Amino acid sequence: MLKSVVSKLISAQQTCGFHTTACLNEVRLLTRLRVVDNSEIGKRAMAEGKPPKVICVYNKTRVGYIGDRVLVAIKGQKKKGILVGLKQTQKVKVPKFDSNNVVLIDDNGTPLGNRIHVPIPTILRTILKEKTHSKGADYTKLLAIATRFV
Amino acid sequence: MNQAEVSKLVSKLRIKVPPKHRKLPNPKGPEGRLDKLRKTVTGLIKYERIELNYNRADEARQYAERLISEAIRHGDCHKPTMDTANFWLLEKELVHKLFKVLVPRFENSSVAYTKLYNAPKPQYARVLDKAVLELKGNPYPELGNKQTNNKYFIQNILLDAAKHEYRQAKYAEVANKIGQAGNETSPVNTENAEKLNEKPMSS
Amino acid sequence: MALAIRRSTSDIFCAAKWFIRRDCRVLSTLPEKAEVEVATVTKKEKHIRTRGSRNSALENRFVYPEFLPDPNPNWRNSLREKLERADMLKRRNQIDIPEFYVGSILAVTVADQHSQGKTNKFVGICIERKGCGLRAEFTLRNVVDHQGIEVRYDLYDPTIQIIQVLRLEKRLDEKLFYLRDALPEYSTFPFDMDPEILPEGTPVPLNPVQVKLKPRPWLERWERQDLKGVSNIEEHLKEKDRVRRELRATPWEKYDLMKQYRQTIPIEDQNDIWAEVNSQLQQLHMTRKKMSRKRTFSTPKTQLG
Repeated sequence: MLKSVVSKLISAQQTCGFHTTACLNEVRLLTRLRVVDNSEIGKRAMAEGKPPKVICVYNKTRVGYIGDRVLVAIKGQKKKGILVGLKQTQKVKVPKFDSNNVVLIDDNGTPLGNRIHVPIPTILRTILKEKTHSKGADYTKLLAIATRFV
Repeated sequence: MNQAEVSKLVSKLRIKVPPKHRKLPNPKGPEGRLDKLRKTVTGLIKYERIELNYNRADEARQYAERLISEAIRHGDCHKPTMDTANFWLLEKELVHKLFKVLVPRFENSSVAYTKLYNAPKPQYARVLDKAVLELKGNPYPELGNKQTNNKYFIQNILLDAAKHEYRQAKYAEVANKIGQAGNETSPVNTENAEKLNEKPMSS
Repeated sequence: MALAIRRSTSDIFCAAKWFIRRDCRVLSTLPEKAEVEVATVTKKEKHIRTRGSRNSALENRFVYPEFLPDPNPNWRNSLREKLERADMLKRRNQIDIPEFYVGSILAVTVADQHSQGKTNKFVGICIERKGCGLRAEFTLRNVVDHQGIEVRYDLYDPTIQIIQVLRLEKRLDEKLFYLRDALPEYSTFPFDMDPEILPEGTPVPLNPVQVKLKPRPWLERWERQDLKGVSNIEEHLKEKDRVRRELRATPWEKYDLMKQYRQTIPIEDQNDIWAEVNSQLQQLHMTRKKMSRKRTFSTPKTQLG
């Protein structure tokens, strides 16, 4: 009995017992993000090689999609941010980025920096406008500091 | 939704191809599976008729069909086809057989190159399904039983029984007649016997 | 002399035989069968001939691979495929979907309700083509402001306004996912790139460029994929990786005839499909050519005026 179990385990090891599909690259708790605006704290965090970590994603599934608001831990502080580009596979015509990008904002939705130095997906325009209607904060200020849309 | 591979062109097989392959469980994995099938395909090309388990026969049949169709399609001057034949046929003289015997045999055929029969197995026995796999145009006698005058066929058994009954009735009649009239009935008796000896035609 | 007579007599005999046979043909059934055989032989010859003539149609499979159905028989449906092909041709009548391959550089303009000008243009190298029928997709990759971006488009998306091929070429591999791990200059293309026009009749050029990968970690195990378009893969490998690559190699797969068969559409099926769409595709191609010629003639006139 024991022998058969052991032999099964060994064979399972040989034929790769766990699945090895490509990861989903979801933005979840403790995901590292890349700050793409020129806010002081964001610049310093990226320069020191300590990119911010996600502490909370403000939606029901706790998986961040494009335009979602997140709470990040950055240089020992808690800051809010908006996801503006994801590594994850996107829908048709929505760009997929090589890194998970975040723009830091304060509680009113005003960005901490005054310029975003990477392209921003155009679909964010619609998403952020919709979110602004439902909440008190105004997220569309973020669109004003974007340099380029794709 | 996958896109079809376009770099290779293959001719259509004349047999039914299941959507997925059989795994033919093997500790060596897919390599071991192909090794098994190589042996079977080599045996099939060599002996032209083999008996084996049904699953393996059906799998090997597809590979044999593909091998022959590739050989017909590309001929023996095509390097990749030669490599494939070299891989599949473990005995090297069979490569010559494939290109010089089987290709001319099947060149103008419009049906499948092989045939698969279900072989009998003992009743209530816990054994795998057996099959007979053969190349068409082989020199052996045919496997399919086309003789209708087999005495164990149910029609023939019933006919025999009917004949037997009829004969018994006739004998009884003749015996009665003999009992009734002693000397005059002898020629009639012989005639009846002759009639009885003629076998009625079996359908 | 005697020989000659014998010959002549035998000739006469043969001729008589032939006559008798010919007369008998009408009555007996056997010669009819023979005639049928002859007819089938001629049919076969015709079939071979048509095969020869259809070879040009078969070449369509490289240019229009999405016209071939999915090879998985579980997902086949002849009626749906036929309707899809008709729809694809209708869409191709509306918009010029040019010939392109993985490795070509494309500019795609789509109607975008989210952008300010209501259109959105993206330029990039095609790293993947997949899907069949109306679900055919392609993916473009570019590096904009030092940020790698990939956009996936449906080939038959009605919101696509223009698909322009800026540089028509092929690469050494079928999928160029390794550009994600390559140095960014290999996938950087300016948005204001000018289209390069190939002279007519030239075959599609093969770009033999070999990219350099960034140091590890990588997104995939590129060393196990037998890539031809990567030059420095060995530099980044450890002994352990080489051993694992040897262990994981599947050299028998190229001999797995049924695996190949299950991935392709057989030539007989392809012939039917191309016979259905080839004439319309050729017609479309010719009209596009004429249109492009007209455009080239008309542009200098406007400049003169």
